[in-house]
Amino acid sequence: METAETKTVETPGTKAPWEGTGVTLPARFKIGDRVRVRELPAIFYSRTQMYVRGVSGTVVRLNYPDLTPEDEAWNRYNAPQEQYYIVRFCQKDLWEEYPFQNDTLQSEYPESALEPATD
Amino acid sequence: MQHQRQHDHRHDHPAAPMVDEITDFEVLEIAVRELAIEKGLFTAEDHRKFAEWAESIRPAGGSRLAAKAWTDPGFLARVRADATIACKEIGIDWAEPTGFGSTSDYMHLVVLEDTPTLHHVITCTLCSCYPRPLLGHSPYWYRSPNYRRRIVRWPRQVLAEFGLVLPPEVEIRVEDSNQKCRFMVLPVRPAGTENWTEEQLAEIVTRDCMIGVALPRPGRRADDVRPVHKAARPVQSQHH
Repeated sequence: METAETKTVETPGTKAPWEGTGVTLPARFKIGDRVRVRELPAIFYSRTQMYVRGVSGTVVRLNYPDLTPEDEAWNRYNAPQEQYYIVRFCQKDLWEEYPFQNDTLQSEYPESALEPATD
Repeated sequence: MQHQRQHDHRHDHPAAPMVDEITDFEVLEIAVRELAIEKGLFTAEDHRKFAEWAESIRPAGGSRLAAKAWTDPGFLARVRADATIACKEIGIDWAEPTGFGSTSDYMHLVVLEDTPTLHHVITCTLCSCYPRPLLGHSPYWYRSPNYRRRIVRWPRQVLAEFGLVLPPEVEIRVEDSNQKCRFMVLPVRPAGTENWTEEQLAEIVTRDCMIGVALPRPGRRADDVRPVHKAARPVQSQHH
């Protein structure tokens, strides 16, 4: 695993505590790509909601590269920074009984929370 | 002495909380704050100064942004390109007060533009992320588990509770603000505001319009006060 060597480091004093000191990974997805939120075990602090796990949506925006919430929670500021994406879901895909075809929901994920959608 | 009696009275019967559905996060904030002060990370005085600074921010910044975006196409283009930078034109610096923001208000802002067939509404299901440099502190209902858990699943019903009923042909788009990006809704400029100045327009873009639970209209200059209902299972005080 790419981040296995990462050690806990002190917060750099002159920068924002969350700014990170590691490399920035290139973005894997682009606007319009269909992605699915990975069904990862809910062990760590992830900020990936349970209600979107396993659901597919469309990338609508590439926001910024940053640390993942998991790395930040453990002070791993020299972990690689990942691209964050805004993903748009159809409400009908999130909630089976949702009665309106056109309604949508957007939320934001780091790249490691996403995989290419196969459906 | 009248003053003394009032003081004693308060000790016998602590004031009831205004919202009796306190969230775990509010309890956690107090605990972490007290620990941080004990540990010497910051002083109670630092905290008071920061809280006063944060509480001095009003939704007027967001109102100015909306009014300027409605009247100045060049500004709207700059908002689309980088809303955080465009905020400086209306006197809002997201880097305040530390030079890199305020630890929970990061330097990322996206303005969600409504159209006649698209309506945005913002929530944070995980905590209470909110564009505070633009809008100040969030209203209590925005932080309540009730709003957060229901708006993502039954947005039309929850909006109707705020008095906003939208036809099915208008797409409702919920923005669950779950990471470091902050959001503000730019409503559609209402009819009947032609030839209005920026100042006049800003007056009708209230906080609720920028969260997406109300629409601006001429004559509406303040948000309705939401009635507070008793929680079905209120948090019990240890002192009872």
